[in-house]
Amino acid sequence: MARIIAKKDLASWLEELLKEHTVIAPTSVGEFTLFRPIITPEEIALDFDNTVLSPKEWFFPRAESLFTRDGGAEEPVPQPIDKLVIFGIRPCDAKGLTVLDKTLYSTPFDALYTQRRNQATLIGLACSKPGPQCFCTTMGSAPDDASNVDIMLTEVDDGYIVETVTEKGKALIAGALLSESKSPPPQVASPAVIEGITEEMPESARERYWSRLADRCLHCHICAFVCPTCYCTQDRQYDSQGRVEQLRCWYSCQGQGFTRIGGYTPNPTKTDRMRHRFYHKLPHFPDTQGSGYATCVGCGRCVTACPVNIDIREVIADTKQRQPV
Amino acid sequence: MAIDYQPKIVGFMCNWCSYAGADMAGTSRMTYPPNIRVIRVPCSARVDALFIVKCFQQGADGVLVSGCHPGDCHYSEGNYHARRRFALLRELLDFLGIEKERFWVEWVSASEGKRFSRLVSAFTDELSRMGPRNTWGNQVDTTDQGQG
Amino acid sequence: MIQQIKDKAKELLDSGAVSCVIGYERASDGLTARPLFVYETEDVEKLIFDETCTHNLVKYLLNIKDKPTAIVVKPCDARALNVLLGEKQHQREKVNIIGEACPGVVETSWNKKGDDLEARCQVCTQHTPPIYDFLVGEPIEEPSPPSTFSDVADFEGKSAAERASFWAEQFERCIRCYACRNVCPGCYCTECQVEQVNPEWVSIRLTPEENLMWHVMRAFHLAGRCIGCKECERVCPVNIPLSLLNRKLQQEVLALFDFQAGIDEDTPAPLATFKKDEKLGIGEWHE
Repeated sequence: MARIIAKKDLASWLEELLKEHTVIAPTSVGEFTLFRPIITPEEIALDFDNTVLSPKEWFFPRAESLFTRDGGAEEPVPQPIDKLVIFGIRPCDAKGLTVLDKTLYSTPFDALYTQRRNQATLIGLACSKPGPQCFCTTMGSAPDDASNVDIMLTEVDDGYIVETVTEKGKALIAGALLSESKSPPPQVASPAVIEGITEEMPESARERYWSRLADRCLHCHICAFVCPTCYCTQDRQYDSQGRVEQLRCWYSCQGQGFTRIGGYTPNPTKTDRMRHRFYHKLPHFPDTQGSGYATCVGCGRCVTACPVNIDIREVIADTKQRQPV
Repeated sequence: MAIDYQPKIVGFMCNWCSYAGADMAGTSRMTYPPNIRVIRVPCSARVDALFIVKCFQQGADGVLVSGCHPGDCHYSEGNYHARRRFALLRELLDFLGIEKERFWVEWVSASEGKRFSRLVSAFTDELSRMGPRNTWGNQVDTTDQGQG
Repeated sequence: MIQQIKDKAKELLDSGAVSCVIGYERASDGLTARPLFVYETEDVEKLIFDETCTHNLVKYLLNIKDKPTAIVVKPCDARALNVLLGEKQHQREKVNIIGEACPGVVETSWNKKGDDLEARCQVCTQHTPPIYDFLVGEPIEEPSPPSTFSDVADFEGKSAAERASFWAEQFERCIRCYACRNVCPGCYCTECQVEQVNPEWVSIRLTPEENLMWHVMRAFHLAGRCIGCKECERVCPVNIPLSLLNRKLQQEVLALFDFQAGIDEDTPAPLATFKKDEKLGIGEWHE
């Protein structure tokens, strides 16, 4: 029999957690949902496919001060790294954090990111049905994939099935009141896997393909900012009366002049930038590191948010090779 | 508000008329409140709309832009352009929560020292009555230029 | 109506009069629309035109200045084109305008289509484009009530403190994706002031005041040039009501200077000219 936490017990458990942790959960902001810190469990809004922005911003903020320095001394940035609990994170976003770890948590690692990751516990929420934009199964994840969270919750009629995945998760759930489930096991509907092409696109057609796709791109930063695995940044240094501060914020490879150095831009045209983005999201890491995972996790946020409907699922269908039937 | 509330005022004065008028007020020992911080510009048209918004963002409670009387601009037309620009900006600032009474655009010629001192006194009195301006957040950015 | 567009597009491409036709096609959700660039005759069949075609395609013309291009425009989009032609950003001979007599569009976002016409369409008084080479659709009788700025008036009813806290709350969400700037036909500077580092006008700190500085900068640079297509608001991923700022300036430009952007390509923008005797409520302090 599966162990569950009843919905009312969930609220009291979260109240206990709130005493010592900062709990980040999906909350309603206007007509959509965003991950925000909560003060009471009543603020949580669980009726959502997925949030507009991924929870990566709680580990890798949109804008943060990297360090400040007065005169000659290096003073640490007075940033308390809270003990975070991310409640209600979807399997695709949890996988997104694991993907980010490959870059930000491996040597040379990002000090602030690693501290936040170490201090945080992830309580996942399995998806009961895929949204129209979801395609996690194409990217190696699943609506009930628990491999990247500490605790996985799956909704049933009388509460949430609790699956403790890690020791950290076990320690966190220790104070909660669990019971036996009397509900039928959940039916998890998965999004269909995107079928690809059987023959590789000929070289001569590739320039034209990316150029046509890039025609309608506005080169804004939306796709990179909503993506759970994008990590490009720009830095600025501010100095005022001898005090120097380094500020880092998100940037996007689709912006004009991205990585322009000394007047030379590696990806000067929209076509180059578009190809760069999809190459980076899909075959780049498997090709160069043989690690088998793509950085896209199939959350579909870029599909929903792109104002001109540049759809990564269409790109996958047009470029992903599958075995001929 | 507290008795010791002192409004912070930023004043943009055009070099040829209003700055000279302010100078005249000073040399003639005409008194006016010290709340105003004067910034000299070549012409009132030099004052970009964003300077004004930045002043309010950085903590100013009131902004005064002063230039030559229309028709007397040292650069012939600057104040005509400034007039249109600030008429629009004042409406936009009001829309954002900074009342129209906090942004004054007045003409002061080089010989009008007395007018200048009375103008600034009136502005300071009005702002003292109104209190601190509404803010759009908690942080006031005190850092200088960014280097990319 | 759509057949007329397809036929015209085919004719222009076949004759070599244009190298590309910019129009709309069905998006990947099967419900809404997205921009389409037709270079070959066989792609003409993909063109659509219906109430989901909310996008303003005029911005794309600025990417293709050397070759003649045809573009499908609604009346509001055509006003944007007038602004660009007036500012010499494009040449009239290089643009072939396929104008639509437009009954209005609905609010769309991916996989969502509204039922009612957009608020701006409900008060629209110009259903026929002011500039076109070829008109598609039957001319629509113009309704008599003038367009109102009731949304602006409603907002002005709030107190100053309420207004300030409203904008602080809205701009707290801004992630500086710059989609609002990039979709706007009026924003075409090669280096935008917000990206300038020396001097830095707006820092990259994502606080409500810095975000507000950015949006005020943009709204003010569009004063007297914004034609009210509300694309900025449509593309915003966090639903900030950006067009309120632009609408306020549109209202003031109309009241102070009796000017509306994009009516024709020749009248200069109000901030580029002046009248010597106007007062505008400036400089009226007396002791």
